[in-house]
Amino acid sequence: MHISEGVLSPVILVSGAALTVAGTAIGLKHIDAEEIPSVGILSAAFFVASLIHVPVGPVSAHLVLNGLLGFILGWKAFPAILVGLALQGLLFQYGGITSLGVNTFNMAMPAVACYYLLGWAVKGRHKQAALSVAAFGCGSLAVLMSGLLVALSLTLTGDAFVPAAKVVVISHLPIMLIEGTLTMACALYLRKVKPELLDGRYAQRYL
Amino acid sequence: MDGMRNVIYNHGGVIQASLVKVCGLSILLWLVLSGTSSAHRVTIFAWVEGDTVHTQSKTGGGAPLKNATVKVLDNQGKRLLTGRTDAKGAFSFQIPQKTDLTVVLDASMGHRAEWAIPAQELGKMPANPSTSVEDPTRTETLKGREEFDKKVVIGMDRREMEVLINQILDRKLTPVIRQLSELTHSGPKTTEVVGGLGYIFGLVGIALYILNRKKNNPPSG
Repeated sequence: MHISEGVLSPVILVSGAALTVAGTAIGLKHIDAEEIPSVGILSAAFFVASLIHVPVGPVSAHLVLNGLLGFILGWKAFPAILVGLALQGLLFQYGGITSLGVNTFNMAMPAVACYYLLGWAVKGRHKQAALSVAAFGCGSLAVLMSGLLVALSLTLTGDAFVPAAKVVVISHLPIMLIEGTLTMACALYLRKVKPELLDGRYAQRYL
Repeated sequence: MDGMRNVIYNHGGVIQASLVKVCGLSILLWLVLSGTSSAHRVTIFAWVEGDTVHTQSKTGGGAPLKNATVKVLDNQGKRLLTGRTDAKGAFSFQIPQKTDLTVVLDASMGHRAEWAIPAQELGKMPANPSTSVEDPTRTETLKGREEFDKKVVIGMDRREMEVLINQILDRKLTPVIRQLSELTHSGPKTTEVVGGLGYIFGLVGIALYILNRKKNNPPSG
């Protein structure tokens, strides 16, 4: 998921950075003082999640948790993921500083997309089954979309799309299942102990 | 004003309590699974032995990177040769030319790493020491290593001495370098993880401070 330095062409790096700046600006606009702790803690969860590896095939993949962030935070996932990725880049040398913009966009945009696709389940008082399905979908779809965006970034630099996408998608299939289940478990847990969080009170308010 | 502030802080506290568990679960999982290999970053390490360059490719967690592409570039960035790593993540090649070389590891999904080999590292170890010593009076004594070893040679010139020392150093240091390449690049350390979490909570604190400053210090007057 983390694209290294020197892989992508400058045009893609700059456009990725521009999109990330825009997304982060939208996200920051939506943050109120009372929401800062939840954004911070989800950012911390994202930062740590990348250390959890699931060995599959030649290279192992790791948890992303962007579906969970998108499900709860909406556009605020952008600043949360940006901070998490910047620290992963600086401390663990995952990805890189020049590719930070592209990487943030690749992981945060699917989170926002999932929010718009399935966020309705968070808002109203839906049945538990509906919430479970929506949360599972959020967790797995976000990873799938991120994988496709990574493949697309590589394609725009010169790789052929189909083989690149195949590798990314196949190696992330187990992660999709795990992320879906984890996001579902988190959503059900939060619904039990802190339903306001999923009510949209702290979530994205403006569609 | 005070009541409102309390409401805000109470909300923050409860959200924190439930989200801390999510975070805690992640940390727990990480501690359990941290032994496995990682795909976030890849590394390549190259060393010269005689006329061959050996490379060792790994994932961030230290596991060998199998079947990845290794490209060798010259100082102009032109590709000289391409190869694939074996099951142990190793790939060796003959020195194609004695300029600065860059070994580039290209793994799938946009992972990439480089290792530079300066020209002097390639030049100082002649492929065949006996032919590289041009002094005609000495050529015979230097024909083969075994033959050379048997003789007590006094009065070698500077160049012969250099060749000999390089050869010995090469032989002695190779296992050390190999071991070094095994030792470098382990996964992220606990201090880095804790440090990162500290940064995030520090940022949260700063953001809260800035946003609450107005409420906490109402303009006097």
